Amino acid sequence: MEGLVTQIQGLSGTASDVLSLQNLLKQADDSLHAESTRLPPFLDQLDPSKHSLGYLYFLEACTAGPVTQEQASSFVLTIARFISSCVAEQIRLAPDKFISVCKRFKDQVLLLEEPLRGVAPMLTAIRKLQLSSEHLTALHPEFLLLCLLSKCYKTALSILDEDIFEVDQPRDLFLYCYYGGMISIGQKQFRKALELLHNVVTAPMSTVNAIAVEAFKKYILVSLIHHGQFPTNLPKYASSGAQRNLKTLCQPYVELASSYSNGKIADLETYVEANKDKFESDNNLGLVKQAVSSMYKRNIQRLTQTYLTLSLQDIANRVQLNSPKEAEMHVLQMIKDGEIYATINQKDGMVRFLEDPEQYKTCEMIERIGSSIQRLMTVSKKLNVMDELMSCDPLYLAKAGRERQRFDFDDFDNVPPRYNI
Amino acid sequence: MASSSSSGLTFKLHPLVIVNISDHYTRVKSQMNPPPLTSTSTTVNGVEPLQQAPRVYGCVIGVQRGRTVEIFNSFELLYDPSTHSLDRPFLEKKQELYKKVFPHFYILGWYSTGSDAQESDMHIHKALMDINESPLYVLLNPTINPAQKDLPVTIYESELHVIDGIPQLIFVRSSYTIETVEAERISVDHVAHLKPSDGGSAATQLAAHLTGIHSAIKMLNSRIRVLHHYLVGMQKGDVPCENSLLRQVSSLLRRLPAIESEKFQDDFLMEYNDTLLITYLAMFTNCSSTMNELVDKFNTAYDRHSRRGGRTAFI
Repeated sequence: MEGLVTQIQGLSGTASDVLSLQNLLKQADDSLHAESTRLPPFLDQLDPSKHSLGYLYFLEACTAGPVTQEQASSFVLTIARFISSCVAEQIRLAPDKFISVCKRFKDQVLLLEEPLRGVAPMLTAIRKLQLSSEHLTALHPEFLLLCLLSKCYKTALSILDEDIFEVDQPRDLFLYCYYGGMISIGQKQFRKALELLHNVVTAPMSTVNAIAVEAFKKYILVSLIHHGQFPTNLPKYASSGAQRNLKTLCQPYVELASSYSNGKIADLETYVEANKDKFESDNNLGLVKQAVSSMYKRNIQRLTQTYLTLSLQDIANRVQLNSPKEAEMHVLQMIKDGEIYATINQKDGMVRFLEDPEQYKTCEMIERIGSSIQRLMTVSKKLNVMDELMSCDPLYLAKAGRERQRFDFDDFDNVPPRYNI
Repeated sequence: MASSSSSGLTFKLHPLVIVNISDHYTRVKSQMNPPPLTSTSTTVNGVEPLQQAPRVYGCVIGVQRGRTVEIFNSFELLYDPSTHSLDRPFLEKKQELYKKVFPHFYILGWYSTGSDAQESDMHIHKALMDINESPLYVLLNPTINPAQKDLPVTIYESELHVIDGIPQLIFVRSSYTIETVEAERISVDHVAHLKPSDGGSAATQLAAHLTGIHSAIKMLNSRIRVLHHYLVGMQKGDVPCENSLLRQVSSLLRRLPAIESEKFQDDFLMEYNDTLLITYLAMFTNCSSTMNELVDKFNTAYDRHSRRGGRTAFI
């Protein structure tokens, strides 16, 4: 044990030394696990910022066994200190150990019921583990879970804003998008929530999983709130398993969506009352209530397409609100949110609906469009790379080869036999 | 047959002549009977199919002032294969008509197409010698050679050389320059831009237009960079200060911006935004189509329950 410690201290200098150290540590891993109870004092001899790899191995062996409440708080401190001071290159040599250490960190933090303590260290851990900001690690969903439980949504939003292009494990993606969707709903950013939940629902899955089912329920509700309608069919890039099974598994929500599209608030409310306990058991009752209140907004928006001016009393009648005052509040809120363009004339209680005043003449618009074009160009390049990769995929070639026509049109000869791999 | 001429005359050729000759040749070639499809189809009237490269003939007219010969225009002539000479009455009638319109122009010579001057051409050449003592022979080579850089047009003069003790007239090559008037320059420009090599759809025309603008802007950029470099050097003191150049640069700079008004700014930004939006839309369409293909491929490869079997064969 002491020999190992001195080796770690000696070999943590240059990159090649670290690689040889890694081999040594891999061989010594089992003996470390066997003596896990004796290890904590050795941790003090190692410096996490210089000997990160060795420290990681020791730490992982220490935390492997069951942990009591008192040990938990001390471990939480040690791990937090380690995460903040470790060196990223050495950590990336043993990513799975790092991930398991961080997961145990999360478990202990939850055991202590102080999720807030885990948020900042987890964020640093993600930044150190990621190869680039487009890389989704297994720590992302853990971090989002901690943010959700500790209700600090804003820190999560900085992570959610980054575009993801590489994923390690599909389960990470599902959990990440699901939690991300919930956080965005909490921040009332429904567009982002819709995007994230859409990703869960349409991600490739060979069998339907529970995360997708829960996400689908929220997806229906958020799309009702944000768009005012729910597309009955999933797009064709959703897996066929999802297309067939998700709707049957979320029957009450689909019916809610169809009664929403009828436009009558009274019907919607009766339906919600009838199925209240189902919604409540899914923890979705709050969202359902928001969906019901968004019905008023939908109806007012529909009015803008028919009328140029309307009195507040008329609006209240058509949208089934109780009084012109309520109608005025709703319209005011919508103007502030930028959902409609209108002016309210308080003298005679008339609302005049206007066109979108954007003239597309300003320099800001040029910058916006310019930056969108740049983003689109990077996406397009990535798509081309993926397309080429896919064309060379042997699974695809096998299936595509099988589907060739038997006869060539031009000369009625047999096409050479199908492409066998 | 071709060595360089020693007559000392300078020749100036107008593009109109070249365009006329090539037009004549193209018309005749495309009006010819098409070559037979297969060997089994009957020949028309028992006549063998014509040669692939017909020769066309005509006259060139222009002005000679002192030592400079300027060829302005040309017209077509009929070639009589039986007498191996050009149709004389027709030539004279045409000459009279042209004299009425262009009193200053004289017949300077004749033209034909082919790859090289031939012996039989000397007959025609001599026949024209009674109109002009030393006629010119303009030869256009209609075969398209993409590697060739200059025009496939040669001007021959005739000279009396002693070969094997016999004085003979032979063709000698002369050099020439191209001369244009403004109208000709505009029309040649027009034709050159409007007809790209593979037959101009709207997309290639737009691309050609934008490429032209791009190269113009690139050249402007490089010139400005040269000026900038020079001015920086002058500021540092490496280059001696020259006030006249500085005055010129400053007057150049003061010419822009040419318009500075509210309305111009509005219209300019609106048009700029429109172009950006169209580019954005085009990129979107491009991206969506790539994504569509990718999704199709993915579904074929990985989706277990996609349609099985292939399309049925049908005859």
